Amino acid sequence: MKNKKSLLLLLSVVLYSSQILASSSVSLLDGYEVSVEQESLKKGATIYYNLCRMCHSLKYIKYQHLLEIGFNEAEVNALRQEHLMNKAIVSTATPENAMKMFGMVPPDLSIMAKARKHGPEYIYSLMLSYVENSEGIYENKIFNGIKMPDVFSYSIAQGEQEKQKIQKDAADVASFLTWTSDPHASDRKTMGFYVIAYLLVLSGLMYLVMRRVWRRLD
Amino acid sequence: MTDDNKGLEDNLVDDPERRDFLNTVTGVVAGAGVVAASWPFISSMNPSSDVLSKATSEASLVGINPGESKTVEWQGKPVFILRRTDDQIRNMSASPGGKDPQADADRVKKPDWLVVVGLCTHLGCVPSRSSDGWFCPCHGSKYDNSGRVLHGPAPSNLMLPPYEFVSENKIVIG
Amino acid sequence: MKNIISWIDRRFPLTSFVKNELTEYPTPRNLSFWWNFGSLAGVVLVIQIITGVFLAMHYKADASLAFDSVEHIMRDVNYGWLIRYMHSTGATAFFAVIFLHMARTLYYGSYRSPRELMWWTGQILLLLIMATAFMGYLLPWGQMSYWGAQVITSLFGAVPFLGDELVIWLRGDFTVGDATLTRFFALHYLVPFIIMAMIMVHLVALHSVKSSNPSGINLADKDNIPFHPYFTTKDLFGLCIFLVIYSYFVFFQPNMFIEAENYIPADPLQTPIHIVPEWYFLPFYAILRSIPDLLGGVIAMTISVLIFTLMPFLDRTKIPGGAVYRPFYRVLFYVFLINVLVLGYVGAKPPEGFLVILGQFSTALYFGLFAILPFLAKKEELWLRKKGLSPELEALIQSEEKHKAERLAAKRKAKGQQNEK
Repeated sequence: MKNKKSLLLLLSVVLYSSQILASSSVSLLDGYEVSVEQESLKKGATIYYNLCRMCHSLKYIKYQHLLEIGFNEAEVNALRQEHLMNKAIVSTATPENAMKMFGMVPPDLSIMAKARKHGPEYIYSLMLSYVENSEGIYENKIFNGIKMPDVFSYSIAQGEQEKQKIQKDAADVASFLTWTSDPHASDRKTMGFYVIAYLLVLSGLMYLVMRRVWRRLD
Repeated sequence: MTDDNKGLEDNLVDDPERRDFLNTVTGVVAGAGVVAASWPFISSMNPSSDVLSKATSEASLVGINPGESKTVEWQGKPVFILRRTDDQIRNMSASPGGKDPQADADRVKKPDWLVVVGLCTHLGCVPSRSSDGWFCPCHGSKYDNSGRVLHGPAPSNLMLPPYEFVSENKIVIG
Repeated sequence: MKNIISWIDRRFPLTSFVKNELTEYPTPRNLSFWWNFGSLAGVVLVIQIITGVFLAMHYKADASLAFDSVEHIMRDVNYGWLIRYMHSTGATAFFAVIFLHMARTLYYGSYRSPRELMWWTGQILLLLIMATAFMGYLLPWGQMSYWGAQVITSLFGAVPFLGDELVIWLRGDFTVGDATLTRFFALHYLVPFIIMAMIMVHLVALHSVKSSNPSGINLADKDNIPFHPYFTTKDLFGLCIFLVIYSYFVFFQPNMFIEAENYIPADPLQTPIHIVPEWYFLPFYAILRSIPDLLGGVIAMTISVLIFTLMPFLDRTKIPGGAVYRPFYRVLFYVFLINVLVLGYVGAKPPEGFLVILGQFSTALYFGLFAILPFLAKKEELWLRKKGLSPELEALIQSEEKHKAERLAAKRKAKGQQNEK
C-alpha cells in the first residue's frame, strides 16, 4: 500500500514537472510559437535593427546584451559603430523629429510584450493586420488609426509564399521582443524546475518526519 | 503487521536507528536549501551587470597633441592620458624615478603615450598637471612625466591600469 | 553550550520562556491544517521583509527614476528578477494566507469569548497589511500604480469639511506625485515593523487563551499535546507545501498578478481604460462602486472592512464553537463566502449593465448577513434545543453558565467588601 502511494507521488511529480516545461511555450497564431532559440532571436533582432529602429527605441537593452542571443563581438561592433558597448539602443529618429512626423513619439519596445495583454501575440498580430483600404492607404484591423506604416508590407503581399515569409519574420520579431521584455525567462524556468523538485523532495522528507513524530501519540 | 507488508515509509518511521537517520537527512537537506536560498540575496549585493560593464572604458586618442594630456573615467576613477614630447620621453628614459624607482620603459606600451590612474597614492586626491609632471595639492606630492613619485608623502608611483591599443587612435582600459 | 545557557538563565528567562511558550506549550491535539495559516502568515511576512530590504538597496524612490530602477533590478542586479518576483508574489501569498486564516476563525468561531482580543488584534493587522500593500503598489510607478493611488487618495475627499485639504495633505501635492512616492516608500518600509510588533501582541493574547480547535469546544487538559515536536513538524511540513505552490507562481507565472498596464510608465495625462486594484482589494472595491454617492460608497467600503470587529457581539448564542454544531451559521458562512467571490468578480469588471445590479445586490447581502446574524443565532439555538442537544453539548453549556455565575458572584462579593470598607 505504502509503496503504491510513493510510486503515485513520484509519477505525479514527473507528470507535473514535464507539464510545466511543456506549457512554457506561448502560441502566436498561424501555428507559430514564441521561440527562445538563438537563431530566431538573432533574426528578430536583425529585423528590428533594420525595420523598426528608425522610430522605436529599445532603451532597456544595451549593445552588450546582444551577445547573449548569438551575436558575436564583431557583429555587435558593426551594429553599434561608435556607440559604447554598454550604451542603450536608441531609435534613429529623435523624439522631436518623431513628434513632427507622427504627432506622437513611437513607444519604446523593450517591455511591449509585457505591457499588453497576451503581448507576444498582440505584437505578432499587429504586424499582420494591415489592409489596404479603397483609397490605397493602409489601415490596421487591430489598432484603428495607427500612425505606424505597414513596415512588413503585408497589406500588399502577393501569394502564399510571400505572406508566409512575412509571418515568419513577424514571429521572429515577436520572439525577440519577448526576450527583450524578459531576458532572464529561460534562467528563471530552469531554476524553477530545480527549486520545485528540491521542495518536493524536502516535503516528502518532512512528511515522513512528521508521521514518525505523530506516531508517538498512539 | 508482518515484515513483508512494511513499506519503506514504515521502516523509516518506526525503527529508532532509521528515525535518527531520517531526521539527520531531513536536517541536512533543509540546511542545504537554506544556504542555497541565501545565495541570490548575497549575490545581489555584488556589482550589477551595468556597473561591471563600466569595468572597461574606451578612450579616443584623437586630438591630443604632444605635451597635452586628457583625463578619462575608468571604474569611477580618473585616468590621465599624456602624449609626451620627444624631450619628455628622453628625460624620462634617462631618469630612474624618485622614491619608487622604476624604468620609464616599463611604464608605457608606446613611449609617446603615458596612461596612469590619476589618484595620488598617498590619500587619493587628484593631482593637478604641472610643467614637468603632476603636483598633488593635498599634501604636496610631486610626480614626473612618467607618473613616478619624486617627493612628498606619497609612497609609490601613480598606478598603471591595464589597457590595450585597439587601434592607432583608441585604447581600451580595463 | 549547556554552561552558556545556564549562565544566561540566571540572568534572563531564556529556557523557561522557550519551554513555556514554544516547546512545551499546550496545544489541542486535533488541530487540522486550517491551523497552519497563522504561522504561514508569519513566514510570508519575513519573506516580504527580507526581499523588500534587498530590493530597497537598488530601488530609487523618485518619480523620474522609480520605473527605470525597477527595470534595473529586473535586468542588471544579480538575481534581481528573482527577488522582485518573490516580493510581488509574496504580496498575493500574504493575502491568500490571511484570508484563509480569517475563514478558519469565522468558521470555527475562534473569534468568540475569550478570544475577542485575538480577533481585534488580527483586525488591526489586516488594516496594517492592507495599508502596506496599497503603498507598496505605488512604488513601481506604473500606470496602474499611479492611477490606483490617485483614485484611492481621492476617496478621502468625501470626508465632510476637511476632505479636500485631507487629500492634499496625504499626497503632499495636488495630485499623486513625487512627494507622494517618497512618503509612501518611507511608510511602506516602516509599517511592516509595526506589523511585527502587533503580531507579538496577537501572540501574547493567543498564549493567554490558547488555541481553539476544530470541534469548537474547549478540550480537557489531557487532550493537549506539547507544541514541539508535534506542531513544529506539522508547521514545517505545511511550510514546505506552501513553498511548492509559492515557487510555482514565482518561477512559472510571475506576471499573473502584475497588471500588464503597470509595465507602462505612469502618465499623469492619460488614464487607463480600466482601473483595477489587486485581487485582494476587489470585493471592497466592488462595494465602493456599488453605492452611487461618493461619501456613501466610502463609508460602505470602510464599514465592510471594519464590520468583522463586531462578530463577537453579533454572535450571541449559547451553543459553543462555530459552524460545526450550528447548521444555520454554517449556511450563513458559505453564503457569505460565495458572496465575497461574487463581489470580487464584480470588482474586476467594468461597472456596466447587469454587473451593476449584481454588485448592489451582493453589497446588500454582505451587510445583510451580518445584520441577521444575532436573530439567526437566537432562532438556531431554539431550533437546536427543540431537536435536543447532545449530552456533552448540554454539559458544556451548563458548565459555561456555572463559570459565568461564579465569576459574577465573585465580583459582587469583592464589590460588597469594598463598600463595607
